[in-house]
Amino acid sequence: MRGRQVAVVGMGGVFPSCASLSEFEEKLFTNQSLIREWELATNFGKQLRSSVCGFVTLEEAGLEAVYSRSNPAYPEHYFDLKKRIPLQHTATADIGSIWAMLSSLDAIAMAKWEQDAVQSERTGVTIGSGGGGHEVLRQAWNSFFHNGKKSRSIGGHGVDRAMGYRDAANVSCLIKNKGICEGMGSACATGLGNIGYAYRMIKFGLQDRMLAGGVEGTSIETFVGFDAMSVLSRGYLPAESSRPFDRTRNGFVCSFGGAVVALEELESARARGAEIIAVIDGYFNNSDGDGDMFAPSFEGQQRLWKGLRSEVPTLHPEVVKVHGTSTPVGDGIELFSTIDALGETGYHIAAPKSQFGHMLGAAGSVEFIACLLMLKNQKTTPCLNANWLAETLEPVQEMEDWQGTQKTVSEFRHLLPTAAVATPIHQLVSLNYGFGGTNSGIILSRHGSN
Amino acid sequence: MTREEALAGIVEVLKTIKMANPKGLKNITEESDFIADLGLPSTELINIVAKAEDQFDLEFDDDDIDDLGSKVKDTVDLILKTAEAN
Repeated sequence: MRGRQVAVVGMGGVFPSCASLSEFEEKLFTNQSLIREWELATNFGKQLRSSVCGFVTLEEAGLEAVYSRSNPAYPEHYFDLKKRIPLQHTATADIGSIWAMLSSLDAIAMAKWEQDAVQSERTGVTIGSGGGGHEVLRQAWNSFFHNGKKSRSIGGHGVDRAMGYRDAANVSCLIKNKGICEGMGSACATGLGNIGYAYRMIKFGLQDRMLAGGVEGTSIETFVGFDAMSVLSRGYLPAESSRPFDRTRNGFVCSFGGAVVALEELESARARGAEIIAVIDGYFNNSDGDGDMFAPSFEGQQRLWKGLRSEVPTLHPEVVKVHGTSTPVGDGIELFSTIDALGETGYHIAAPKSQFGHMLGAAGSVEFIACLLMLKNQKTTPCLNANWLAETLEPVQEMEDWQGTQKTVSEFRHLLPTAAVATPIHQLVSLNYGFGGTNSGIILSRHGSN
Repeated sequence: MTREEALAGIVEVLKTIKMANPKGLKNITEESDFIADLGLPSTELINIVAKAEDQFDLEFDDDDIDDLGSKVKDTVDLILKTAEAN
């Protein structure tokens, strides 16, 4: 079903080591790393394997935490020092929800949506998060289970600050929209999954405008979970620690941030003279179906590409923004499934996690914004640190049932630039995957390219 | 504990509730209402109660909290009643 066309008309975000979208943009295209040593992690010494992270401090985000007197580790209320969010709304929010609200306000401002439009029944919100409000819940549970205190010792905001769709709920209460309010969850595909869902809501006529994205609030608890799996990068300087496709990659960099985009039915955006940042040409998602929670699937990704081509039969992107986490298993399979779908030449691969790490539930939306900036700047972001490409087969290529290329990663050097490249970009594809074997891809183009 | 000491403790608690109306905080009496005079949503009342327990090292009875009014004097009464029972 063709449905209606959908435009991207606004964006906003909270990005590691950046105070603004423009700073994020400048750093992306000057090949900078946004990854730093994280003091909160180094404080735990040998309890943690990894200590590098892409994060934004409260100060950088213009926020201040008020800590509980009875439980000094519990940030019971965040304060917006720049007075962008009223107190009654910061009271119900964890740090990720505050980022969702800040991102949404920026996206609305860029979209130039009037208050009547924002607060109509035709405007919806869908924003998700990968984590489960750990920062709030850990303190609540410590107080109750370990210290034997009354349940009320944590205060009255344990639920609203930790519930599954807290980010969407807080944004909806702030902007007072009357359309849908939901939060999709699909692990590290959450950010893109919410955007894809929002796209479908507009495409099929259920909403006219959507705020959509993902956030991953700073949480040492989340970091500990991945560190326990031994999947995080270690042994490198921060700026060198995320190295998708490099043969010495040894894990991803756990990062935090958030992004929200404003989507609008194309004709209405055009009619009011809105700036069309990009047009979404198609979205597809599926599951591996192999019963494996963690391992990426070449066959699942092949079907993802087939689905994307069913959305746009003339699919011919100049850039593929990959998930590219810097894990030993994932990057090779993703490169080979992309080659399987698009051939060996004619496009560049961008791996922005090489610059800011893996923002988990926020990855898909932050990287979606990176794609919007690539369209705007007509430059692809780099695969930073992809310096040494393997000249031997990846382990997956040596399996009996391997159906993909028999060439080594090193033979695709031309697809993997280690610095930003100026190149005409009319169309690009953005890919994200998640635990549970979920795969998602979206096709973006410049307005007027098709 | 006197009523004045209980009231002073509540004022200290209210200083940590960021949503409390600053003007209302300047002139708190036992007749002040947390919702009407301090502009607090009803969901904040449990936070005041929990912080008051911490402030005075008391534990209020759940039934008393269920019946608690929104005026400052209601919380003063609860503090004194619980302190006397200890």
